[in-house]
Amino acid sequence: MPLWFIRGLRRGVVTTRYPARPDDSAARLPTPPAFRPGQLTREVADRLVAVCPGPALSRRDDTLVFDVGACTGCGRCAEAAPDAVASSGEFELATTSRSVLIKEIPIRGDEP
Amino acid sequence: MNPSLDEAEAARRLRDTIAAQFGRSLHIRTLDTGSCAVCEQEIRLLSAPHYDLHRLGFFFTPAPRHADLLLVTGPMVRAFEVAARKTYEAMPGPKVVVATGACALGGVYPKDPFVHGDVGQVLPVDVWIPGCPPSPLALLHGLGVAVGRLAEKTPGLTFIADGGQG
Repeated sequence: MPLWFIRGLRRGVVTTRYPARPDDSAARLPTPPAFRPGQLTREVADRLVAVCPGPALSRRDDTLVFDVGACTGCGRCAEAAPDAVASSGEFELATTSRSVLIKEIPIRGDEP
Repeated sequence: MNPSLDEAEAARRLRDTIAAQFGRSLHIRTLDTGSCAVCEQEIRLLSAPHYDLHRLGFFFTPAPRHADLLLVTGPMVRAFEVAARKTYEAMPGPKVVVATGACALGGVYPKDPFVHGDVGQVLPVDVWIPGCPPSPLALLHGLGVAVGRLAEKTPGLTFIADGGQG
């Protein structure tokens, strides 16, 4: 019996049951960020827009417009403002409508 | 936006028709319109033992004539436009176009004299799969959405942490 087969059995390496059941590796995937509106000020938002290498982030008055489809999940925004941004953990993002991928994040950090 | 009852009924009928016509197997043709090939790596992983997409009835085919689903990666370079259109036209109907990865969704290259910027400029895209690259799990979910066997989650996601309170 080939060695790799025995090794695989011992380590429990099997075909994933996804989509019927969740896959263990999903938690380690790079995913688009999720934002905390209370920690977002206009200044922080502008910094996030500047640090984003693509067109995924833009600011419109008190709204941070986040295009999930354009996000490459590079994590630069989470690095620039760890209090306001963290990985969302969402990877099941396929959609039949391009426009639902554009999310509006309220900026509430400037409110008294 | 709430689709009217007629639209919802039409959508249901279309889904049933596709399910009936595709049966239990669906053949995928991949099309690289200028991607960096990392999307292709993830697509190739789908047929590896861990993901084993054949268990779900999906198969890769080398010819668009045999394909039901066109999996398009890359920002659609203008030099490839004719080939992309010909590939789409060569496919028998009903056919589904899936744009794969941030390039294909317009997130990496802006529209310029060399690229269209996103796949939707040239082909009628049915399903968009975000990610750079989309992981094999994300691709499986996208394929499920394309054949109407998995529900979309994206409309309900806000990308706001702490339920919008924090």
